Amino acid sequence: MYYVAEVNESECAKYNCKQCVLFCPEPNTLMYHSTKHTAWVNYSRCKGCAICVYVCSDLLKRNCIQMVMMTAGD
Amino acid sequence: MGLEYVRISPGFERYMPKDYVDLVNYGPFGRQVDVQQLGQFKELVEEHPMCAGCFMAYFIRIFYAALPNPEDTIVIGTAGCARLALSQAAVPFVYGNYGDTNAVASGLKRALTIRFPDKVKDVVVIAGDGGLIDIGFGMTMHSWFRREKFTTIMVDNEVYGNTGGQESGMSPKGVQLKMAPKGKQFDKINAVELAKVAGCVYVAKLAPTNPKRIARTIRRAILAARHFGPTFIHAYTSCNIEYSIPTDKVLEDARKREKQDFAFYEWMTDEVREYFEEIEKQSQEVKV
Repeated sequence: MYYVAEVNESECAKYNCKQCVLFCPEPNTLMYHSTKHTAWVNYSRCKGCAICVYVCSDLLKRNCIQMVMMTAGD
Repeated sequence: MGLEYVRISPGFERYMPKDYVDLVNYGPFGRQVDVQQLGQFKELVEEHPMCAGCFMAYFIRIFYAALPNPEDTIVIGTAGCARLALSQAAVPFVYGNYGDTNAVASGLKRALTIRFPDKVKDVVVIAGDGGLIDIGFGMTMHSWFRREKFTTIMVDNEVYGNTGGQESGMSPKGVQLKMAPKGKQFDKINAVELAKVAGCVYVAKLAPTNPKRIARTIRRAILAARHFGPTFIHAYTSCNIEYSIPTDKVLEDARKREKQDFAFYEWMTDEVREYFEEIEKQSQEVKV
């Protein structure tokens, strides 16, 4: 079981803000899709610190990222 | 290292690891990336064993995105948390003994200047508060007194993080740590003023709350070190384990500390200021 961040892509695409990507401490983990204009998570690299949730929900009040439990097969 | 060592020889692309091929094709080698483009290019630093939510890891991520010339840069580190991520990057990393980072960097910079007189080779020291201001204090100060032309970056987590939480010279007064149960008895060392007195030409102090500003500061420190003399950045990178900060509150803590004692501070000599003004004028002319 892993605790990882998951981006709600349809919500995220409305804003085009990228702030979570700029504040993730892990390299190549929270990426930005330049044609879909949404952030996406490389689940195998995410350590589950939830800084992106703080940026998205507490600072920007956009609530596009949730933390979810994931099993290795997902 | 140099750009020709980064590229893959023709015919070998299919045998190289995927991450390396991505790095050559979509990485920052040979082109200037902006920190705002993070997430859209392959970063120099790879997966590393630093803790979840570590803001030192965050600072190092921004550092590698901000390097003005990554293919001609050498990073020097020492024992401490920072070396866990620094050693996982596609930039040559030299592991100094505890305390002698700035002595190693002095020799390396001088040798590179002699060996490559027609090229710019940047040498950057990144070490913690223990490596630079406690154990490496003498060698750090003497490299500044000698006015060696390289950048020193202190990632200050205010504790000896991976040996169990001993107090360091940079811990704030009165703070109680696992191996300082009475609370620290002395003040935090004022590293920024020491650097100014010791002869650094560019000194900055920051908390990692604004990626664009971190990148600009790092870039300025490296450019000033190429021409004028030693430069120093003091960055607050909290230890969320030893200071018991929940991982999702790490940025909040950095913002709080920025308001208290880590407000952005930048100092440079007059000749460095003139040099930056000239560069900024040139880059504006290019844009126009």
